[in-house]
Amino acid sequence: MVLLIQYTIIFASVLMLVALGGCFSEHSGIINLGLEGIMVIGALGGALIMNLLPAGTNGFVMVVVTALAAVGFGILYSCLLGVAAIQFKADQTLIGTAMNMLATAAATVFVSAFNAAKNPDNTSSTLQYISQKNAFIVRIGGFEFNWFMLLAVILLGISWFILYKTRFGLRLMACGENPQAADSVGINVKRMRWSGVLISGALGGLGGIVYILAGVSEWKFEVGVAGFGFLALAVMIFGQWKPTKIALAALLFGFFRALSNVYTGFPFLANLGIPSTIYNMMPYIISLVILAFTSKNSKAPKAEGIPYDKGMR
Amino acid sequence: MDAPYAIEMLNITKRFPGIIANDNVTIQLKKGEIHALLGENGAGKSTLMSVLFGLYQAEEGIIKKDGVEVKINDPNDANDLGIGMVHQHFKLVQCFTVLQNIILGVETTKNGVLQMDEARKKVIALSEKYGLYVDPDAVIEDITVGMQQRTEILKMLYRDNEILIFDEPTAVLTPQEIAELMQIMKNLAREGKSILFISHKLNEIMEVADRVSVLRKGKYIGTVNVKDVNEAELSRMMVGRDVQLVVEKEPAKPGNVVLDIQNMTVASKVHKNNAVKNVSLQVRSGEIVCIAGIDGNGQSEFVYGLSGLEPLVSGKITLCGKDITKSSIRSRSELMSHIPEDRHKHGLVLDYSLEYNMILQLYFEPEFTTKAGFLKRKEIREYADRLIDEYDVRSGQGAITTTRAMSGGNQQKAIIGRELDRPHELLLAVQPTRGLDVGAIEGVHRNLIKERDAGKAVLLVSLELEEVLNVSDRILVMYEGEIVGELDPKQTTPEELGLYMAGAKRSTPKGDKA
Amino acid sequence: MKQSLFKKPAVQTLLSSLICIVAGLLVGFIILTIINPSGSGQAITTIILNFITRSSGPAKLKAFGNTLAKTAPLLMCALSVCFCYKVGLFNIGAAGQYEAGACAALFMAISVGAPWYVCLLAAAAAGAVLGAISGFLKAYRNVNEVISGIMLNWITLYLTNMVLSNPAIKDPASPYTKPLSSANAKGMLPTMGLDALFANNRYVTVAVPLAVIIAILIWMILEKTRFGYELRATGFNKEASRYAGMKEKRNIIVTLAMGGALAAVGAAFLFLSGYQQWSTTQTSVPGMGFNGIAATFLGGLSPIGTIFSSFFIQSITDGGALINRSLYPAEISDLISAVIIYLCGFVLFFKTVMNGWIAKNEEKKALKAKGGNA
Repeated sequence: MVLLIQYTIIFASVLMLVALGGCFSEHSGIINLGLEGIMVIGALGGALIMNLLPAGTNGFVMVVVTALAAVGFGILYSCLLGVAAIQFKADQTLIGTAMNMLATAAATVFVSAFNAAKNPDNTSSTLQYISQKNAFIVRIGGFEFNWFMLLAVILLGISWFILYKTRFGLRLMACGENPQAADSVGINVKRMRWSGVLISGALGGLGGIVYILAGVSEWKFEVGVAGFGFLALAVMIFGQWKPTKIALAALLFGFFRALSNVYTGFPFLANLGIPSTIYNMMPYIISLVILAFTSKNSKAPKAEGIPYDKGMR
Repeated sequence: MDAPYAIEMLNITKRFPGIIANDNVTIQLKKGEIHALLGENGAGKSTLMSVLFGLYQAEEGIIKKDGVEVKINDPNDANDLGIGMVHQHFKLVQCFTVLQNIILGVETTKNGVLQMDEARKKVIALSEKYGLYVDPDAVIEDITVGMQQRTEILKMLYRDNEILIFDEPTAVLTPQEIAELMQIMKNLAREGKSILFISHKLNEIMEVADRVSVLRKGKYIGTVNVKDVNEAELSRMMVGRDVQLVVEKEPAKPGNVVLDIQNMTVASKVHKNNAVKNVSLQVRSGEIVCIAGIDGNGQSEFVYGLSGLEPLVSGKITLCGKDITKSSIRSRSELMSHIPEDRHKHGLVLDYSLEYNMILQLYFEPEFTTKAGFLKRKEIREYADRLIDEYDVRSGQGAITTTRAMSGGNQQKAIIGRELDRPHELLLAVQPTRGLDVGAIEGVHRNLIKERDAGKAVLLVSLELEEVLNVSDRILVMYEGEIVGELDPKQTTPEELGLYMAGAKRSTPKGDKA
Repeated sequence: MKQSLFKKPAVQTLLSSLICIVAGLLVGFIILTIINPSGSGQAITTIILNFITRSSGPAKLKAFGNTLAKTAPLLMCALSVCFCYKVGLFNIGAAGQYEAGACAALFMAISVGAPWYVCLLAAAAAGAVLGAISGFLKAYRNVNEVISGIMLNWITLYLTNMVLSNPAIKDPASPYTKPLSSANAKGMLPTMGLDALFANNRYVTVAVPLAVIIAILIWMILEKTRFGYELRATGFNKEASRYAGMKEKRNIIVTLAMGGALAAVGAAFLFLSGYQQWSTTQTSVPGMGFNGIAATFLGGLSPIGTIFSSFFIQSITDGGALINRSLYPAEISDLISAVIIYLCGFVLFFKTVMNGWIAKNEEKKALKAKGGNA
């Protein structure tokens, strides 16, 4: 039971962070299908820093520097989306797909080269952070937490506040709903869309490092992040592009993901004989069914996916 | 110093490749006046406004504000000079509240955090001062078009704009809303705002404006005081000749009933009520029946219901004795040609070549498709070339031109050719002259009459009074989804027709057959 | 006056694709050089030349055969994406339809013991069903096909793993499905003597010519038939196609079902050749469907173009496996293809620039001609 809650919270915080990232991007009008790739690159950044920092580094420094590295890598990588989709009006679905492919390939190439540089016999794409990982863990009673979960909750609050209570949020959402209207009142649509994309890069990158710190102490970059970026997309849609609902959706999806990992620990679940793949499938099936019933009046930002052309008034 | 003019655009010339959109145009807007800008579609009104808002730079001419020359490079500059505009298509964020839309771009903030209470107070004060009542917390998508327009006006007032531009503001309004808007504009002028009112509706200009400037084909025709002229004179300035009130045609010789619609009701996509309510009408062969009315009174939905694009809520449609109430679009189109309202949305596949668009309604016929399902290239080309020739469709590369690259008038000619040439008993023509120049309009009208004289039934849906009166043999007026009257174009006057269209008069009780 | 060669859309498309390829290879070369400058020239040559760098004639032929054997499934995935794209649908679900095809084909081949053609049909049916689900959701429930495609990719992955983990299908000693040659030789695609042409490479099967024929068929359907006319009209303008009496909802479903069948047959082409077995423990959606997107765009969105782009992408992928693994990781090829597909997003921009150049040149020429006459 403890394990189930623990995993649920871990997965939920990952999904929530990444889905919030997607939420910012889509509210600005850019569909970010490349979240999966951004997570991989964010995870790469964080893992590299952990790997490079000496084992005795102060825990607080370790956490902050790792988080910053993941965020930085995520932001840099999201520029690929910004340049193509905002500056050159490229097809956002195509670019997102390319970014996902590129991220796994680039991370694998990079880590292999990195490993080989340290030890010519080691050409694997695995990075280890066994001892470094302890800096992130907080134990309260039997529960094992990680600092990033606290960060995720704080970021949820901040996201909500930014979107609904600040000038920036109002302008961002105007750009995703009706960029012509935003432009007509002097808002720089390009700049707002860049902000949305870069924020999604930051949160996506952070989500990546949180994901690979969950329960394991090394990561093989060949496997990417196993579809968590796409699951986060589902969380975002399920959460109707609203931070509070996204948090709830993340908990639900995280729960199913956790079940598939630990269901054998529950005698009655194990006895049901349902294979773990069913639990893995559940979040996707649920979102598909929900989508089928709610998409007629979808709350998606109206102008998302459409490149903004100043000439079209 | 006290300059008499709030804004002046002096000797503005703006050229585009192959066309002079504004040729030495001068507009001087006095402080506190309502100044109308009159002109047909394509007369250069929008270009002139785009120059004023810095979207285009004029090649020649200057702009002065309060007597001082200014440079306007983008809409922000215009905004800084206190120039605001209510666009024809509102620039509102649908899922935001009225208040959020008003403050967007000029938000009051403390460290980036929105201060909504102050904004709300200012908005409420403004709406009371000018009689612009609207709930600041209502969401835009839930309120009427008239309320949305008020939001747009409040947006300008909130920005303390002194110069207010209204671009065709009445096209989307109900008669009551138009009356209210006129009152609001007068209030605004009384409070010292200067108003530029772009329109092609003479009666509105006569009612509300102090002076009017007329543009025709990019040229500046002149500025006159409204109280010194009458509608006929203005109309002559606008079109450049006496409006030919009668299109030459023989009296109609109606034959059998071709189309019989009984109690048609169609739902609205925009609101919860039905857009078409219990409409019954008949069209006979050899006559042109016109459905007249102000835009948005259910005409589009009526057409969708008749053509099969939308299902009926209730009612029955009989075409040539065949019940087509539940028939597919395809089987209806065997007997019905349809010139659609929106040629880009419905009429053409813009990325297809002209020849492919010419067979859009016939591609499946054995004439153009082999038994195995292959297209017959040669036959398609020959057919397209014949239509292009007959209907004088002009394009860069003939049959293989991408229709997107063609002018609007030629696109419309292509559609008309396609729809008239194929076999049909009923022609449904919806605003067939929209956006066309005067010469092209005459051509379309001649074609409609030719159709009638060939014994076809013609159902014309039009918003243009002049067209309604000149072309049709029988007029049915549609108001708020109902047929409110049947008029004989030879007996009626524009004034009477206007009263019906505005809902002030009706001659048919509910459910009566017209 | 003769029309400039560069004005032709086909030429512009070809040039744009070449720009993407050259830029992609350049990025790859730079990265190789950063990793290890001494061998980068040789490595990039190996990637480009692939089987030509093999030592002997038969080895070259055999490697060429392997590349062809994997080009066939890739081409099918590309055709799936391309066909749907022409109808205005982005079939990101090709990956999932590919999984469904693998699942159905291997189930029929190993568990049921059916002959290869039955397996192919089963795969096509499975893919079509999956595509039709996306199509139905799009047409009747307003669910974007990209989103439903992504969901179905993952659902199908887990489902396939579950079905193929059946002891009758899975090899007891490994996570892979049983090798087809021993489990059911009848289920293997016939080679029709093609193996002999490629130094007895038994993976070169009827799938290779079949895929090319299907590509030509798809091109013919789209460009030459009434059906294609209707589908493309729907893709360009849904409202106008409705006005013209086309059943746009049915067309969306049919299109995605056909796309699904194409991708699924692609999977059957790979797994029924015996080249590879399905790993029942894989946790990521196989890249074939996504590579299909790359091939589609690199092929200039033309079914004929995708024949060449699919071969190119598969060839550099195989070439990547041949480079010196102690110096460089093989994924460098994936990286290059990813960069190429990313750059394909800029094709519209490339074409605008080209047209700008042409317009400028013509203006200059026109001015000159005027000057000459005056």
